[in-house]
Amino acid sequence: MDLIRFYVRKLFTVLKNEVIVLPSRVVVVVFFLFLLLLPVFTNNQYTLRIFTLTCIFAILAASWDLLSGFTGQINFGHALFFGVGAYAAAMSNLHVHLPPWASIPLGGLVAVLAGLIIGIPCLRLRGTYLALTTLAFPIILMGFVFAFPDLTGGELGISGIERIARSRVTNYYIVAGLMFGLCTIMWKITDSNTGIIFHAIREDELAVRASGVNTTRYKLLAFCLSGFFAGIAGGLYAHFMRIAGPSTLEVSMSFLVVIWAVFGGVATIYGPVGAVFILFPLLEFLRFWQEYRTLMFACVLIVILLYMPDGLFPWLRDKIETECPRCKIRNIATRTVCRVCSASLE
Amino acid sequence: MGEAFLEVMGLNKQFGGLKAVNDVNFSVAREEILGLIGPNGAGKTTLVRLITGILKADSGSILFKKREITGKKTWDIVNRGIACTFQNMRPFRRLPIIANVMVSCLSPRAMKRGEWVKRIEAKAMDALEFAGISDMALEDASTLSQGDLKRLEVARAIATEPELLILDEPFGGLSPAETELMAKSIHRLHKGGRFGRLHSEGPAMIIIEHKLQQLMKIADRIIVLNFGTIIADGTPVEIVNNSKVIEAYLGEGEI
Repeated sequence: MDLIRFYVRKLFTVLKNEVIVLPSRVVVVVFFLFLLLLPVFTNNQYTLRIFTLTCIFAILAASWDLLSGFTGQINFGHALFFGVGAYAAAMSNLHVHLPPWASIPLGGLVAVLAGLIIGIPCLRLRGTYLALTTLAFPIILMGFVFAFPDLTGGELGISGIERIARSRVTNYYIVAGLMFGLCTIMWKITDSNTGIIFHAIREDELAVRASGVNTTRYKLLAFCLSGFFAGIAGGLYAHFMRIAGPSTLEVSMSFLVVIWAVFGGVATIYGPVGAVFILFPLLEFLRFWQEYRTLMFACVLIVILLYMPDGLFPWLRDKIETECPRCKIRNIATRTVCRVCSASLE
Repeated sequence: MGEAFLEVMGLNKQFGGLKAVNDVNFSVAREEILGLIGPNGAGKTTLVRLITGILKADSGSILFKKREITGKKTWDIVNRGIACTFQNMRPFRRLPIIANVMVSCLSPRAMKRGEWVKRIEAKAMDALEFAGISDMALEDASTLSQGDLKRLEVARAIATEPELLILDEPFGGLSPAETELMAKSIHRLHKGGRFGRLHSEGPAMIIIEHKLQQLMKIADRIIVLNFGTIIADGTPVEIVNNSKVIEAYLGEGEI
């Protein structure tokens, strides 16, 4: 009992000293509680389905940010990892009868392999050349899918895959939990020493090499890590939708990921995740005005990119928080002195 | 002069019709500070870029500690113990200054050395302390002045604890007082020793510089390059009195 009391007190101390002091952290906690309590407030299967898919795409968008946002290796073919993960999970489940808890990580690992296969030749390229080359890979894979319909299901894809869980609510909780876990891991990676090197590669690759760091190895690592997380998202998608089809490899899927990341703010991880939670449900909501759907979606994008070139979330964060000029700790915008070093914030 | 530490033999590099480096031969001893001077476009930076593997030589050979490094990758050469700074500074502008140096501290060579390798930040901080910009460690590199960027370049280079340090115009953009301070720092570094968690091997140095008075004070030997060819090699006093150098680089008269 004392132990429980100790941990409860510790939790309150952390909430008081670490969370409530910064609006962005409060938003993250509220967002977490919203996801946690969503099934309590709604029994609507359609809403749960939308939010489950949103969580899956949030993992995908964050994985693109890990590669392209942080290391600057612009990947226009991110659907490749997603599709490979989806197909690998579907095939291993249908043909080898692996349960979802094994087939989904397997999808991630196969996507790592795909990352290595495209990473090794592509790393000789930079900028637009790299972007255009990566764009080609999902199209090539789609050709293979159509060429071997016995194995891949051709245009119809592979269907009849096992669900992640029987209940839709359980499905939702598993996917949301994984989204939180995987995005935290990605954020931790970018916050680590490896993340510093990823950042530096984006800034000036030659200077990183002149610092004694093998940039090729790190770029390949970024491809593999990003592939792994996108592959997991693909596996989750296949098991949730119970189908792995060519739509997972479409060019539009690759570009949707880029749009989400740019909208939310690249090189942040939280930006693309937040963007998916705005744009994906928005797109579903706009289904009611089918004729104007794409137009309205485009208008929202243009407005955001015009006025917030760094993305929506970094812009919002800068509005509600200020950085202390002395200790670089963030404070709520209404404060006049830093909460840590007491330096003036005006 | 001691045994050759770095040996450059018959090095050639051509860009289209221009011979930027033409059959260059020289060596650097372990305890030496070698000055590299020459008019603009003489091929000094190209020569350094060939040594550090940023550019590939058309022909010739470079030996470091009696091992061939010609054609090796830049990061490999740095990990063998050669570090360089850039003439046009290349900081990671959107990263804090300390993170700029941490990148060097994360190279395999730097990770292998030192007792507190787990404290990467502390080691980076010591490099910044040595360069004299530790008070700005948390600022973004984009906020630094030209002179401070030069110091950052030096901090990044020494963080790998090199045995041969190549400095491309380390005094460029510095005020006379700052130049004096930087010259002293270079001399202190060359002597070797421990600066906090950072250990200086007392690296041999190649310094490209246009501020000749300052260079003459710290260099043991000077090589003069003109049109990609070495036209003079000797002590600072010999170079000052060399008629070819006066004609090609210093102009007529005395300095």
